[in-house]
Parts: sequence; C-alpha cells; structure tokens
Amino acid sequence: MDKLVIAERQFNSRLLVGTGKFASCEIMADAIEKSGTEIVTVALRRVDIENENDDMLSAIDRKKYLLLPNTSGARDADEAVRLAKLARAATGIEWVKLEVTPDPYYLLPDPVETLKAAEILIKDGFVVLPYINADPILAKKLEDAGAATVMPLGSPIGSNQGLKTRSSLEIIIQQSNVPVVVDAGLGLPSHAAEAMEIGADAVLVNTAIATAAEPTEMAKAFRLAVEAGRLAYESGSAPVSKRASASSPLTGFLRDEND
Amino acid sequence: MEMLKINGVEKQFPAGQLPPTVAELLKQLGIEAATVVAEVDGQIIESKKFARTRLCSGQSIELVRFVAGG
Repeated sequence: MDKLVIAERQFNSRLLVGTGKFASCEIMADAIEKSGTEIVTVALRRVDIENENDDMLSAIDRKKYLLLPNTSGARDADEAVRLAKLARAATGIEWVKLEVTPDPYYLLPDPVETLKAAEILIKDGFVVLPYINADPILAKKLEDAGAATVMPLGSPIGSNQGLKTRSSLEIIIQQSNVPVVVDAGLGLPSHAAEAMEIGADAVLVNTAIATAAEPTEMAKAFRLAVEAGRLAYESGSAPVSKRASASSPLTGFLRDEND
Repeated sequence: MEMLKINGVEKQFPAGQLPPTVAELLKQLGIEAATVVAEVDGQIIESKKFARTRLCSGQSIELVRFVAGG
C-alpha cells in the first residue's frame, strides 16, 4: 500500500484514532496499539485545581505516536487560535486539528470561523488539519489557504451513522490536492472501509472504538477495514452493471442441444 | 488580602503570601509543572519559564493540560 503523506511527513497507517471516551488509560493505550495508528488526537482543557488527576499523556508513547491536539470546545476563530497556540506551547508541535463547533447539539463545524482560524494559524506556521462539513467549496478554499488536509465528516461526531455525506465526499476526494481524512460518524469498520474504497486518504475514528464492548478488538477490526478499503481502492474496483454477467463458462453444459 | 484568579475562580492569599512565581503557585496547588501550560493575563507561558514568571495580585491565570479527546 502507498504511504499516507501529510505535510511531507510519511505514515504507514491510514487510521487516525481519537483518545476520548475510553473507560481507562490502559484500555486506551491497548486500543491505540492494536489499531496500528501513528496519529492520535488529544484535547486541551483547564486543570481541575481542586481535584488533581493523573496526566493521561503518560499513557501515550510520544516516540511512537504523533500527538494531534484538537481545538474542541472552540466556538469561534479566536477561541480556536488561542487553543492552538496553547497546544503548541505544551507540545512544541505545530500540528493542530482545527475544530470550531458552536452548535452543541449536532457539533457541526462553523465553515466561516474555521476558514478564518485556518488562515490565521497557517500564517503563524501551523500545520492545520481542519474538521469541516462535507462541503467541496469550503474544502477547496481551505486547500488554497494552505491547509495540510481537509477532514470532512461522514455524519455528526459520535453518532456512528456512517457515510451520510457520501456523494459530497466523492466530490471532495475527486477535487482535492491535499489528503482527505474522513472524520466523524464512522460507527463500523464497514463505514471506514467504504470511505477508503471511494478514495479517502485516511479516516479518523474515536467513539466507535472507545465505546465498543471490546475496544482493543474493535481497534483491530478498524485497522483491517482501513487496510482492506485502501487496498481495494488501489486495486481499482470492477464495474457495476444492471444485468448478470456469468462467472462460469456458458459452454459445455451437461445437457443436449435440444433438451 | 491578595488575590489571583485561577481558571476563572478567585483565590485569596493573606498579604505577603502570594506565590511569587508560576512555579511556586503550581507547587502550592500540587500540580506537576511539566504537564501544564499557563496563561498569565492572556500571555502564554511555557513550562520552562514558570520559575522566572513573577506573579502579582489581581492577575488572571489559566492552567491547562491535555486530556483525552477526539
């Protein structure tokens, strides 16, 4: 399989994994390992000064996995830029998954504020991976602004509904000159495989793995599905037709001509 | 009394007992400095600068760190 290349950095795995919602740090670390991922997302929040918790980052091997901080919780461009800068100060990494989601019910990304934040961050030297609705025009504008990828959603975050935006995703994939990472809403390995089959460069999965009954096994299932989907895409799919097309010879049947 | 606003909550200190630096404040709060980034009045302070960033009464401080997220 081809390698995934984002901002000139190469990855063998085309599965990005979110670290939220796991029952424990141990299960999270196990699932990350089984998924084969090389990029994991994290969020930035206030320290609870009354109730000091352990640092979850200690469960993630920073040499093996690229930490991709997100700007979750940001409601506008200013909040997203502030979070991105804090994340950079914390990690020294300039990669950021840009999320601006003012609507708490569907968590849909704000296209205007996302583009605005992307332009500011790219000027400031960030490698920006923006989370967007499956909007081909916005995807193009972000690419033109210098985004490292576009990350269109399959369906709302954590909804596990699969590729509800398939026809728009196909347009984005066809037009894009930067990697397309389908993010959000992938609830089953078959959804991830479908995204890869239509030519997505990678997928990001969190809820479907973290909240499965057996997260580590589900992580493995997603790894296999992403590999299968990518291999199918690279192999070129066979044509679809309305009528049957026999797979076995249409000669030499065990009957006489006049029967 | 002196005061620091920490993560949105005002915290009072008897006169003369305000932690002199960000590093001292974290020590008093029992927070591991290496895992935290601070903002003092909107200015980002990296952990290596905690010991030389002086605090004064009335400042607003944000202490943030990475948590699990998608």
